[in-house]
Amino acid sequence: MHLLGWVAVLFYAAAEALAIRSLVRPKGFGAAPALVVAGLVAQFADLQLVGRKLGSVPYRTLGGSMALFGWMLGLAYLVLVLRHRERAIGPFLIPLLLAFSLLGVLLPSRAPAAPGTRGSLFAFHVTFAILADAAFALSFVLSILYLIQNRQIRRGRTGVLFSRLPSLEVIGRMNRTSVTIGLVVLSLSVALGMAWAHRVWNGRVDAKLVWAFLTLSVYGLLLWMDRRGWEGPRVALLSIVGFVLVLFSYTFVNLFLSQEHVFR
Amino acid sequence: MTEAGELLVLGWDFRGASGKLREGVAFTAEDVREGLRRLLGHGFVSETVIVSTCHRSEIYGVAGGQDAGDELARFVSEWRGLEPGLLEGAGFRRFGPDAARHLFRVASGLDSMALGESEVLGQVRQALSIAREAGSSRTVLHRLFESAVRTGKRVRTETEIGVHPLSVASIGVELANKVFGDLSERTLLLLGAGETGSLFARHALEAGARRLKVASRTLEHAAALAERVSGETVPWESVARELPTADVVIGTTASPQPVVLRDDVEAAMRQRRGRPMFFLDLAMPPDIDPDVRSIYNVFAYDLDGLEEVAEENRRRRVREVPRVEEILEEELQRFLIWFGNLSVVPTVTALRQRLEEIRDGELGRVPAAERERLRPLFDSIVARLLHEPMRRLKSETDAARKLERVEAIRHLFDLDRDE
Repeated sequence: MHLLGWVAVLFYAAAEALAIRSLVRPKGFGAAPALVVAGLVAQFADLQLVGRKLGSVPYRTLGGSMALFGWMLGLAYLVLVLRHRERAIGPFLIPLLLAFSLLGVLLPSRAPAAPGTRGSLFAFHVTFAILADAAFALSFVLSILYLIQNRQIRRGRTGVLFSRLPSLEVIGRMNRTSVTIGLVVLSLSVALGMAWAHRVWNGRVDAKLVWAFLTLSVYGLLLWMDRRGWEGPRVALLSIVGFVLVLFSYTFVNLFLSQEHVFR
Repeated sequence: MTEAGELLVLGWDFRGASGKLREGVAFTAEDVREGLRRLLGHGFVSETVIVSTCHRSEIYGVAGGQDAGDELARFVSEWRGLEPGLLEGAGFRRFGPDAARHLFRVASGLDSMALGESEVLGQVRQALSIAREAGSSRTVLHRLFESAVRTGKRVRTETEIGVHPLSVASIGVELANKVFGDLSERTLLLLGAGETGSLFARHALEAGARRLKVASRTLEHAAALAERVSGETVPWESVARELPTADVVIGTTASPQPVVLRDDVEAAMRQRRGRPMFFLDLAMPPDIDPDVRSIYNVFAYDLDGLEEVAEENRRRRVREVPRVEEILEEELQRFLIWFGNLSVVPTVTALRQRLEEIRDGELGRVPAAERERLRPLFDSIVARLLHEPMRRLKSETDAARKLERVEAIRHLFDLDRDE
């Protein structure tokens, strides 16, 4: 029973309610980041408890990895709020945070200890992978915001969303940063994973690795296109495609294709 | 009317007064100083503040009664050399709470020609500052104007009455801002150096634009405007060549044919490697080929489109009025309660109660046997403490000074605490 996990979910839900209200009225948003912080603390304590039972960071279970992903998204959200004072992203990002944290408490979190899944090399491999995915999720949200704002500007709709959302330039810049962080961290994760696999699996190739290269290629292409005249909605769309790949990798590939990245 | 006096305002605004009459009662800062001095000299108001903007001239005062309204009107008529009947018919008068409410409405932008505009708030603030320097705003008007300014600020932070721009030029600037974020690093190319062009240039500068290029068929016109806005002049024949470096292009010429063609923009976008371009066509007939909007990452707006946005924004502002009025009434009530208390009798009563509370508190710490023996002594101390200040307060003949002292007592003894 994830009592603290549920507490975190409640905090995130309250933060989302406040964030949505802030879209309608500019005041009254102040408490949303504080509620996310409270949620993150509760979720961290929950992850700690689960981790202690498992004897490692709780990424070896589907539930644990979802919760960890939600937690990293929350961290990313806070960094964004603190760095850019960018409140408009809240109502769109917190639902993801909420969804993953909810999956984290609902999905199974008991796992048999797989051979060799201990040690710092493996821990860094997985943690980096989850962080990369959180960065891509952020880019996904930013891309949706970009498309919404682009549409508002084109149609001359200067309403609430128009005035609350940042400029296309700012969203684009934030998106670029997210994708760059995701790419670097995922590359590190893949390199560490390959080093670890070389030691433990004797060089076997897993479907997840193929998928990771595919993800890297899409996001790499995105950054390249961004410099080659496709800056704008096309890059935003490609980022959305990239995140669909990430989600697919997280769910379908893990459950059905991969031999070694199975969380049950 | 309260014991503190009668609030009144006498004014002329864009609704009732013709432009010519408004010119007659338009006051420069120097006129305002002179008016304040003369008004205080006449003595029918104990405090006064004059608000003067393009759309309104208003004289606020604290007086002994409503008759002061007639005296004020006579004063303005003599001072400005205007016929009394003409002034009377075109102006308005408000007294008491209505006068206070009027100023709150002005500061909130509810009474402005462009609903919700915020420039007036600065003008109200400036009127108070001139009156303070002249020594004509004291306890009541100082508090009234500060409350009005606070209301104006609250209205603009807590509602959207001033958020959505109303003029096509500011809508254009706002849209461009939402594409580029910060206009200071962007290049703006202005086609045409006439009235619309200058107006837009002014808006753009206010919005932070720093790099302005001006092109006009008449090079001298372009050069003159460029000089005024610290911009650069572009020869008319080079407009197409300048396009790739321009982030925002504004059409304001009287040219019967489009000046910027789709092919030029396509070529420019290739050179810009797809970086967004923003076209604002304020000309009629259009300066910019309407087809350009279908090019990837090109944003283009014409006059009709911008006017639709302006109309929608106007409706948005109107929707905010009920919320603005809620805030306004809340602040007005606060002011009126304070003003109502600002009289000698309630202040003396409140001060006596405060001292008696202190007396009872101290007596409570004394053993019961001693208490009755000490009570007469304590009563006498309270009475003697009150006697002199009250005598002086009641005998004060200068109304404004009396209010200042009442206000000081209320503040020093924290008598408004319970409200």
